[in-house]
Amino acid sequence: MHAYESEFREPLITGMDKSYTKITDDLVAPTERNSALWWIAVLLSGAGALFFVFCLTWTVWFGIGTWGLNKTIGWAWDITNFVWWIGIGHAGTLISAILLLFRQRYRTGINRAAEAMTIFAVICAGMFPIFHMGRVWDALFIFPLPNTRGPLWVNFNSPLLWDVFAVSTYFSVSLLFWYTGLMPDFATVRDRSKGKFRKWFYNMMSFGWMGTAKQWQRFESLSLILAGLATPLVLSVHTIVSFDFATSVIPGWHTTIFPPYFVAGAIFSGFAMVETLMLISRKLFNLEDYITVNHIESMNKIIVLTGSIVGIAYLTELFIAWYSGYLYEQFAFYNRVLGKYYWAYAIMMTCNVVTPQFYWLKPLRRNLYVTFILSIFVNIGMWFERFVIIVTSLADDFLPSSWAYFSPTWVDIGIFLGSICLFLFLFLLFSRLFPTIAIAEVKAIFRTSSEVAKAERAKKANSPTGGFVGLQHVGPLDKDSKH
Amino acid sequence: MAEKKYWKGIEEKEQLEGFRQIANKEFAEQLPILNSITEPISTGKSNRRDFLKMLGFSVTAATIAASCEMPVRKSIPYIWRPEEVAPGIANYYATAFYQNGDYCSVVVKTRESRPIKVEGNKLSVVTKGGTNARAQASVLSLYDGARYKSPKKGKDPIGWDVADKEIGEKLKSIATAGGKIVLFSSSIISPSTKAVIADFKTAYPTTEHLVYDGISYSGILDANEKSFGKRLIPSYNFAKAKVIVGVGADFLGTWLSPVEFAADYSVNRKVSKSKRDMSRHIHIESVPTLTGYKADTRIPVKPSDELAAMVDLYSVIVTGGSAANPKFGKVAEELKSAGAGNALLVCGSNDVHAQVLANAINNALGSYGSTLTWDRAYNTKQGSDKSITALHDGLNDGSIKAVLFYETNPAFTSPIKGLAEAVKKAELSVSFANRLDETSMVCQYVCPDNHWLESWNDVEPKAGIFNTIQPTISKLFDTRPFAETLLKWSGKEGTYYEYIQKYWENNLYKKQSKYNGFWAFWDNTVQDGEFVADAPASTSSFNSSSVADALTATASAASSFGDMQVKFYESIALGDGYWADNPWLQELPDPVSKVTWDNYIVVNPTWLVKNGYNLDPDFKENRYGVGQLSANGQTVELPIVGVPGTPMGVFGIALGYGRTAVAHKELKVGKNVFQMLTKSGDSFVNIAKASVTKTDKSEQLAITQTHFNITLKDLGGVKTRKVVKETTLKEYNKSLEENKKFSSGNEDREEILEEMVTLYNEHNRPGPQWTMVIDLNTCIGCGACVIACNAENNVPVVGKDQVRRSREMHWMRIDRYYTGEVDNPDVVYQPMLCQHCNNAPCENVCPVAATNHSDEGINQMIYNRCIGTRYCANNCPYKVRRFNWYDYQQADAFDKQYGTSNDQNVASETLGLHEPLTRMVLNPDVTVRSRGVMEKCSFCAQRLQDAKLVAKKEERPLHDGEATTACQTSCPTGAITFGDRHDKESNVAALYTDSRAFGVIEELHTMPNVLYLTQVRNRDEEKKYEVLDYYHQKA
Repeated sequence: MHAYESEFREPLITGMDKSYTKITDDLVAPTERNSALWWIAVLLSGAGALFFVFCLTWTVWFGIGTWGLNKTIGWAWDITNFVWWIGIGHAGTLISAILLLFRQRYRTGINRAAEAMTIFAVICAGMFPIFHMGRVWDALFIFPLPNTRGPLWVNFNSPLLWDVFAVSTYFSVSLLFWYTGLMPDFATVRDRSKGKFRKWFYNMMSFGWMGTAKQWQRFESLSLILAGLATPLVLSVHTIVSFDFATSVIPGWHTTIFPPYFVAGAIFSGFAMVETLMLISRKLFNLEDYITVNHIESMNKIIVLTGSIVGIAYLTELFIAWYSGYLYEQFAFYNRVLGKYYWAYAIMMTCNVVTPQFYWLKPLRRNLYVTFILSIFVNIGMWFERFVIIVTSLADDFLPSSWAYFSPTWVDIGIFLGSICLFLFLFLLFSRLFPTIAIAEVKAIFRTSSEVAKAERAKKANSPTGGFVGLQHVGPLDKDSKH
Repeated sequence: MAEKKYWKGIEEKEQLEGFRQIANKEFAEQLPILNSITEPISTGKSNRRDFLKMLGFSVTAATIAASCEMPVRKSIPYIWRPEEVAPGIANYYATAFYQNGDYCSVVVKTRESRPIKVEGNKLSVVTKGGTNARAQASVLSLYDGARYKSPKKGKDPIGWDVADKEIGEKLKSIATAGGKIVLFSSSIISPSTKAVIADFKTAYPTTEHLVYDGISYSGILDANEKSFGKRLIPSYNFAKAKVIVGVGADFLGTWLSPVEFAADYSVNRKVSKSKRDMSRHIHIESVPTLTGYKADTRIPVKPSDELAAMVDLYSVIVTGGSAANPKFGKVAEELKSAGAGNALLVCGSNDVHAQVLANAINNALGSYGSTLTWDRAYNTKQGSDKSITALHDGLNDGSIKAVLFYETNPAFTSPIKGLAEAVKKAELSVSFANRLDETSMVCQYVCPDNHWLESWNDVEPKAGIFNTIQPTISKLFDTRPFAETLLKWSGKEGTYYEYIQKYWENNLYKKQSKYNGFWAFWDNTVQDGEFVADAPASTSSFNSSSVADALTATASAASSFGDMQVKFYESIALGDGYWADNPWLQELPDPVSKVTWDNYIVVNPTWLVKNGYNLDPDFKENRYGVGQLSANGQTVELPIVGVPGTPMGVFGIALGYGRTAVAHKELKVGKNVFQMLTKSGDSFVNIAKASVTKTDKSEQLAITQTHFNITLKDLGGVKTRKVVKETTLKEYNKSLEENKKFSSGNEDREEILEEMVTLYNEHNRPGPQWTMVIDLNTCIGCGACVIACNAENNVPVVGKDQVRRSREMHWMRIDRYYTGEVDNPDVVYQPMLCQHCNNAPCENVCPVAATNHSDEGINQMIYNRCIGTRYCANNCPYKVRRFNWYDYQQADAFDKQYGTSNDQNVASETLGLHEPLTRMVLNPDVTVRSRGVMEKCSFCAQRLQDAKLVAKKEERPLHDGEATTACQTSCPTGAITFGDRHDKESNVAALYTDSRAFGVIEELHTMPNVLYLTQVRNRDEEKKYEVLDYYHQKA
């Protein structure tokens, strides 16, 4: 996939000291180093994850009544969290699959972590539809299993059943894709390992990767095939999740705009979460040269694009509500903006539509502090988007006699915060045990997009031969052609 | 192949020594006799002594086994099946419900000999098959764990023999010494019991019988004595009235005989193509009641102006003068224009003078003999307010030596302070209460009466109308009928059952000629539950001598209460507090305010704002500001609730709350305000001068429907939402004359139906198509159906905390919508239950197909398939699905499987409803739902199935009216029609295509199987009286 790259493009790997060896050293380093900070973080998040387990146990033991739900509002934080996590999980596949197909080189710095994030986010997401069941011990009923209960089958009309298929497929493909990419890197780690156990462990994890040409060829083919499989999933998963709402009759849910709106929102929140995590990791693991401001800026561009799409969707909803002349729709949206949950709508609008617009300005787009804050904002905003859609629509629907209000209990809050801790816990484990940046893939762009290569080429350009230097192996690039 | 050998344990397989020893013996354990025998008999060496021992043992054992009565433990299956009991098949027994002044002729459904449901008795000439919430809920009280289980002396249980001996001796010594014995009771309407009391009086001549009703009708009784010379209440015939004016009388909800009145009232409220006329109902009242809310014209006034209205009506109607208030003048004109015998004035005041005026007005209107008749006068109210004063004074000055309390709880209901302490002063105090109450707690002895479902008795609710009360279960505890106890103490032999029969044979048998022979008469009466004798001859002439006094007294009373007044009203659920220990009734939302589990101060919403309370309470927690109300030197702190239609400066508080002698702390809700009643002459009136001061406190109320959240008139109005539809009689008749397919108010249905297109073929459903049609015009919102549904379908009680969290489980709820001005709104009551949509949004979203459609049109729930995703409830536009947030019925608990901590929020635990005794009330035909499953109205599928099976066994088609739902049969006004609309002859098929029929939010294409008939108000625009302006000014 080497191609000509304009010298005006900023390098994706910065630092003049970079070489293949250096890249390996830099990227494997986090797995070889012991860090007190990491231990503190992993213990804290581990405790939070235990609290998550505690809250779920509490729920199962005592009943869904320990949540704040009521006769009118049957879903609130549970499904909000589900959709939010699923949305976050979208960035990984988008980056690894769609950006791969679009040959966006900047993806190499962030795809591994983004994919890991996808896996963990989907794990978190999957908890909610399971544990929101009143009788979780009968959860197996949702699978179309042959049974002795006569011709009793699942209801294929139900979007909730589609979710089961969509989410499980998405999880399997993402996991495969992620793991496939990890294999050569595990081999790299193995080759540097000193301890016997460590060697054995990484050897096993790499499935005995040898780095032969045949293996590389198959690796590339598999990556492409999986990318091809994953690409429609990026669109389908959130489309199907949005069907949970779009196919219902509840005003505010029953909307045909939902599939594209949800997918855009998912990518939006997914990128924000990638940014949140990567901005921390690049600092902690000294990866500034591999996750550069250029990477951040590219992601911010996607955020401003998808944020604007979401914004347009919000406005379209309002317009259509007015234009439809349909009383319930009008009321639902009036109520959404000015009703008892106006604050939730205000938070959503601010965080999702207003603040990302700052990214039109280049200095802000390239400012890491601004990016970090706004990425948090986006995550908050996107959580509230789901809350607004789910809760405000349910709270005041058709019959005014049944209108109600939802307030969370400590269990609701505990499960949500606990799921974040579980996510962080898993991510921390990942960042310590696995190479967080795809070593092989970064090396693949070293020749084209690193600062070193660009400098060499610039030097050559000034030389008597001048002109196009293409992808010649020059200078330090040839220092360690072993890798 | 050899025969396989099965063994049940190692010892058998291995034929161990011990096993063989046991296996070879006839008795596993050694017979005790064998120890005393020296040589085993089998050896053949037994001696003479052993022979005699064996002989003695055998003869004694045979004698004991043959002659001694062993305790019989009954369990299913029966070895000898009682003739009437077939397991799985319900038996119905006609009987009568009379508790604390409420009367209904009923049929009790029993399963395996335990009563589980009360149905109305259709043969009844009084209640006509209707019931009220209290009658429906009384079956739960039968299984109340707080019932007295044996006689008690102080806190110690004693035997009946001890009680009889001790009390009998004391009574005798008191009577011989000439000490006064008082039998204090609520109105007793049993002729046999009255005869027993007469016998008791003969045995103890110093006995006085004082009658006092917690909700007093003393005023009207005394007034009738003045006007007609008899202390009775005439029969009110609402069915004959064309113009009905109610003045502060909640006659559809609580006043006098609401079940009967509701049935009669609805006769003239039903309109159809063939019956185009409808009565006109004007209601003058202060604190809103469901009766006022159902009126065509409601005039909100201050409580004292209810009296002023009587003066005005009197002066226009009787003396031909003019009214001080033009609105009342208009009302008077309407009454006059109804024509003689067509008008009816109902005054609810307990003020004698106001009632005398009412008598004079009704007399002038010619009501007597038509809408008011003396031939069937009521016996249900006999109490006098003098009784409570007499009791209080007599106990305090020591003149009353012994006091016996029957069906009354004066320690709680007394308007005079300190009655409980006074009771302690008596030499002998006995309560016959069958369950814990304030009075029995301070009595020396408790001699518990049977529950009415365990008793033989008779009642005469109206003159010449007799009901038998027969037991539907043998008594659960060591209790004894009150009358039998009195008989014992009077020194009479025999049971009360024999006494009743003797009484009927001697007195009532003669009054009929249908049956030859007493037993034929008795058996048939018991079977029907009712015997209607000829009405006693009655002529009454109106004596106007007391009217002049009454006029001045009423006028002065009307001006004596000042600007700020409080009215104490009877709660529809709890009565005078008698029902406060019944969780079903505690959880019944008040028809007006929709508050459960509490009383509160009712105020005008505008007043609320002006006085610094939040109009819209904190909807997040349903927090209501608490006000301190002072009246008659007493103060009470209660949360303040704005109720539309309450005039400015008027407060209302429900009586009957604040019971303290109840078994569970959850039942101790609200505050008792009986002692705030105002003494007026001999009677206590429920109006008082009041002032309210704001406190810093707030309280959470468990309210099922909040008031003011339809803030967007254009966007969220109920009418535009097509939830309820209404019209006026004039418009309705006009649309009938124009032969419109959809009558006035329902015109938009034409377009809705036209636009209902579908791509799918209709399902072929050859069987019945169950359909319900509810007439909004006759639904009075009383809540009888809600409790009936609770009883029939094992709907759990969830308790105050869960209701506050909007988690009440009622399958049937009554939605209440306001229209018009806050100060005097029009109200529509709409019973809301699962609409059994033929195109149900809930069905297609369930991932496991736990809810689906039957080919009879029923939307069914499969509880054991449900995994509790709640998607169906979210997608239900009617929000009728109910989720088991906790294990409300303890269905999953095998004797507290989960320990105790998980029961923290489960009302069944804290209210004792999970106890085996209380669980006997559960309907065995209906699954008790466990935690985590969804439930909702099933159209009483079990009852439909039952009806179908009966028809099938008799090899005939199902007839209309055989399959009924619990809500339908409980409705006192017959507002609910149910049946198979494929049966073209059925009532429901006709109503289904009626021009008034509409489905709620039908435009969603849900195709509901429940339709509603539009509300029709008999009111022209000019007859809608605007709010009296001066209330605003005085506020």
